[in-house]
Amino acid sequence: MTAAPVAIPEAPTPPGGVRRWLNSPVGAQVTAAVVFIGAWQLLTLIAPRVPGPIEVMQFLFVEITGGSHGGIVRGQFFEHFAITLQRFSLGLFFGFVSGLLVGILIGSSTLARALLNDTVLVLLTMPAFVWAFLTTMWFGITWQAPVLTVAFASFPFVAINVAQGVRAIAPELRHMSTAFEVGRWKHFRHLTVPAVAGYIFAGLRFAIIIGWNGILLSEWFSGQAGVGFRTRYWFDANRYRGFVGWVIVFIVFIVLVDRVILNRLQARAFRWRDQKEVDFIEIQEQQVGL
Amino acid sequence: MTDTVAESIQELDQAQVLRTAAGSRRRRYLAVLLGWLVFIGLWWLLSLWVDSEARLPSPGRVFQEIVIILQGDFWTQFWASIVRVVAGFLAAVLIGTPVGFFMGRSKYWGNFLQSPVIVAGSIPGLTYAVMAFVVFGISFWGPVLAVGLIAMPYVAINVAEGVRGVDRRLVEMSTAYGRNETQVFRHVTVPSVLPFVFAGVRLSFSLAWKVGTLTEVFGSSKGIGFQIRRNYQLFNMPGVIAWVLLFVLFMLLIERFILVRLERRLFRWRQWEREA
Amino acid sequence: MARVAIDRLSKTFPPPTKGGDPVVAIGDISLDVEGNVFVSIVGPSGCGKSTLLNILSGVETPTRGSASVTEGDRPAHLGYVFQDARLLPWRTVMDNMMYVRDDGDAGAAKAALYLDMVGLSHTHDMFPGQLSGGMQQRVGIARAFSVEPDLLLMDEPFSHLDAITARSLRDHLQELWSATRKTVLFVTHDVVEAVQLSDRIIVLAPGGRIFDDITIDLPPRSPRQKPLVSRRGWPLRASGRRGPPPPSRGTRRR
Repeated sequence: MTAAPVAIPEAPTPPGGVRRWLNSPVGAQVTAAVVFIGAWQLLTLIAPRVPGPIEVMQFLFVEITGGSHGGIVRGQFFEHFAITLQRFSLGLFFGFVSGLLVGILIGSSTLARALLNDTVLVLLTMPAFVWAFLTTMWFGITWQAPVLTVAFASFPFVAINVAQGVRAIAPELRHMSTAFEVGRWKHFRHLTVPAVAGYIFAGLRFAIIIGWNGILLSEWFSGQAGVGFRTRYWFDANRYRGFVGWVIVFIVFIVLVDRVILNRLQARAFRWRDQKEVDFIEIQEQQVGL
Repeated sequence: MTDTVAESIQELDQAQVLRTAAGSRRRRYLAVLLGWLVFIGLWWLLSLWVDSEARLPSPGRVFQEIVIILQGDFWTQFWASIVRVVAGFLAAVLIGTPVGFFMGRSKYWGNFLQSPVIVAGSIPGLTYAVMAFVVFGISFWGPVLAVGLIAMPYVAINVAEGVRGVDRRLVEMSTAYGRNETQVFRHVTVPSVLPFVFAGVRLSFSLAWKVGTLTEVFGSSKGIGFQIRRNYQLFNMPGVIAWVLLFVLFMLLIERFILVRLERRLFRWRQWEREA
Repeated sequence: MARVAIDRLSKTFPPPTKGGDPVVAIGDISLDVEGNVFVSIVGPSGCGKSTLLNILSGVETPTRGSASVTEGDRPAHLGYVFQDARLLPWRTVMDNMMYVRDDGDAGAAKAALYLDMVGLSHTHDMFPGQLSGGMQQRVGIARAFSVEPDLLLMDEPFSHLDAITARSLRDHLQELWSATRKTVLFVTHDVVEAVQLSDRIIVLAPGGRIFDDITIDLPPRSPRQKPLVSRRGWPLRASGRRGPPPPSRGTRRR
């Protein structure tokens, strides 16, 4: 903007390979990462209780390999992670399928919408930790509690998105197909599916982010195993390097799944969409976060 | 002239739209009411079948509990939570807005801050809640910190988006008419960024409340989250459900009656733009 | 009387793609406009018409050469009508009119007067989004006249509108011009429009060079009169010739 009221320290662009690289998008991001790790290291100097990056990496190495070089003995890591993943996928499946069904119902029938919309909104407003508490009170410390927490927490997000998608099949498009006498199957295949698929996908992404938070909470409060349990185990033992290590593990997992895998898939599957729209959906998605 | 004809057609349409809208609105209210009745009815049947207050209390029992809470310390507890969430939110807006400005104005800072902001946005709320507890213990500031941390990325992303979206043509127009930078900032930049800030606040609002209450579960001796946790530990199911329902109703009321109206009033001009 | 002095002006934009050639928008133009004349600049798209106006209004800076707009010995006061209305969507019509002026209540009366002249006195408190495209453009025109500029720049102000609205706005413009007699630089790609409105037409060629400079000397016309273009060709081509234009005298109608 020519009319900047605040002076922005724009990085200069001198010649020379290194400097130019530093100013490139990749360079800026790498700089950001280095600055972050540096700041973390500095923080440990001020507050000695905060575990430093090296300490945490050492812990993770032991947790993953069991302390043996070459990974002959396996550490705690895989067991807990596998258990969590298993419950997570099961809960996600239930939440997604029921959300899909209810979403289609709400989207296609006005009556169903009037009847169910507020219920879904109420569920949407419930914090995930409430589900962790309720399921524990219902089932005790069992595998059902985390699975149902994931299912309950992700269900309303899927339902709302799918309903929106079904309703958004633009009437103009429908009229167009009628005008050109497009067949029923073709109509479904080329119109309904692509139009709704984007919303279903967005719903799935929500479900994954929300569900991941849900399972961590459930395992934290009432687990005997799993990522959330293990995080709490180290926290209760006052071993913050373990706590921070596991926090990094579950953050890296969700960032990898969401940003790297799902984001790419979505970009590929919905090339026809306006990029702006995709960006907006992403922003929105993050906003619902948990 | 063509304009007058178009205007009168528009007026006709509006009158008709208003009339049909009134009818369908009445019908919609009825259906929504029916929806709530069905919801409560199903809950009641389910509670009869479960037949255990500790697992699923009847709606009547929860209603009793709600009345007790409302007569008791409802407002003190709610007020405690509200103050913390609002304080955290203010901090998020105060820090997130300038950060977003940097990201939107400068390509370099946009790239620099992009990944941190995105990663911060995907961090599960549990992390913030526990972190706030570790830093502050049982304190007023824990929830404030957690809410601030969770809402900040959204505000920043939205402001950046808004700054990038400032219409260059309007800036050019202002230059051509000799407006100075302060005037451009006040009349062009701020009004075009404001809806984005508001969107960021609105969308992260429920998120912030959830994390705020979660933090109260960990480290607080007051507030809605603390009350839910206390009842959970006492294994008092009606209490848990009553507090959760109060929380949900409160959120929906704020969302529907305050935020939506505020947005409509602040951005009256957008209504027309959307219709056009 | 405003004076526009353009001396060997060039404007080059950086190449749009990496390794491409820089884009020459204006290549070495010299031009002199003085007095209360209506000057049209016509030419195919991409010949630097809009860039020229942007340089004159200070939105862009020239690569080489100079361009100045003066009134006596001070910089001239400008009005600008754009292709699109460019109203602030979040301000009412009246607030949009007031945005471009620095006086308070005294200015409000003036703004109201010009809104009235374009037939929009009932829209003061409406938002631009509530107006049709033609009405928005009328606000844009009223805004430009209301600052009582020494020089009025107009950049294809009617090209986004349908033919009927454009014609009625052209009439509005002629009435306003007859009433105020500002110096006007009017960019268009529509030759008929240029002939209808102007005293002088400057034809630009691709690459931003002056191809032709025509002075039109016509008997007084009423605003609604059809332009005097015959099908046989260009009877109006009075002083057309290639190359740098002669120092121009503003030729008035009358």
